[in-house]
Amino acid sequence: MSGSDDNSNSATTAQRAINGALVRFLVLPTIFLSVVLLGGVRVDALTHALVFVPPPLVTLVLAVLLLTLCVRARLIDWRSWLAAELPPLANAAHALTLLTLFFASAQAFNAVLPERGWLRWLLASFFFWTLWQNQFSAFDANRLLRSLAALFGTAFAIKHLLIANLYAPGGGWAQRVAGALFEGFTQGTIGAPETFAPATGYVAFFALALYVAGLILLPAAPDADVEEPPRVHEVVEAYRQLTVTERDAVRFVVLTEGQARLDGERLPLTQALPIDAQLDDDERPLT
Amino acid sequence: MRRQTLIAALGIVWTILYAAFVVWLYTTAPRTLREAATQASATVGAYEIDQARFDAAHELFRREQYRAAREEWARADPAGRDARTQFYLAYAFYREGWGHIYNDDALFKQGIEAADRAILLSSERALMIDDPELQIHSAAELKAELQQGTERSLRDLNPLKVLRERK
Repeated sequence: MSGSDDNSNSATTAQRAINGALVRFLVLPTIFLSVVLLGGVRVDALTHALVFVPPPLVTLVLAVLLLTLCVRARLIDWRSWLAAELPPLANAAHALTLLTLFFASAQAFNAVLPERGWLRWLLASFFFWTLWQNQFSAFDANRLLRSLAALFGTAFAIKHLLIANLYAPGGGWAQRVAGALFEGFTQGTIGAPETFAPATGYVAFFALALYVAGLILLPAAPDADVEEPPRVHEVVEAYRQLTVTERDAVRFVVLTEGQARLDGERLPLTQALPIDAQLDDDERPLT
Repeated sequence: MRRQTLIAALGIVWTILYAAFVVWLYTTAPRTLREAATQASATVGAYEIDQARFDAAHELFRREQYRAAREEWARADPAGRDARTQFYLAYAFYREGWGHIYNDDALFKQGIEAADRAILLSSERALMIDDPELQIHSAAELKAELQQGTERSLRDLNPLKVLRERK
């Protein structure tokens, strides 16, 4: 019985390893390179021609800050991704994946920053300030992902919903009035509006969705979800060798000690064991 | 373990190819998907002009419909990769811009650009067009003629200039 369980566990572990490799070496680079491709695509409103906007320098700086934040929040454990213990081929493939993540981050910023003018620098400063401040905050991976989703979502709404609708051609009188007021408030420093077709917003939305999906799929360490920690495996195997009474005693200790830790106490072992577990120990272990 | 190594190798190759495609796309910046396909075929050396459109444009050129001829040649060679087509484009700019008293500088400048493209595309061998209806048969000569037409000199004040003929 335990032999077949071992074989089953081995097959599962092997399958997990292959799936993990497929995700790290094929799926993630594809997702991130697709973000790189789509993040700079604009569609001209008048001619419907494609416009390709490469990532400007400010987005590269923001991408560096973002990746630093990912490392600090342990979303990426770079020492596991690029390790001397790994084969050179694995290290090269991991490096490429991380490089695609960097450029995808830059293009994600490119997709949500206005093309030019005062508002562009305002949002870029907002991004910079937020990312810089977060370097000194306590973050975990989940919090970071939620924070990034909010950050990009807000910038997306400002660029593709607010500004795009203010300058969309063919708008009604209210829109024209709002656009004129906005232009006056900003003293014309928004910059000559490059009117883009609504398809630009859809492309940017899809690019951002892909980017967030890639971040969710990204494992902190390359083999984090493949192998169980060895100590857990040993403890589980040892538990299976115990008698029924001993198993009851172990479960009692674990549950009692767990509750005691929640209450801020630490119980000595003899106090935790029930009396029958202390006296009877001559039953054969189950196989 | 061997499978993981194979997957890693495949991943490296795939990532490099996809990244090269993205870089190419941003470098060439096609305005439509059709233009992207045209430029892709030009990149791999499979590009050919539309000969039927070229011949139609040539017919328009003979009938002195220079603007229509240029548009048709632009459709025949959308990627601008054929030296012969660029030469004829330059010649159409020359003939339309030429005047007895003065030349159209804007058209001549566009002609110079087209002649430059023709010279660039025929870098391996000098481009010679064997067309009996033309008096200029090389791109370099055509470019020189166009450049002379845009220059200002005392010769422009010569009244006999009106007797010169278009080539």
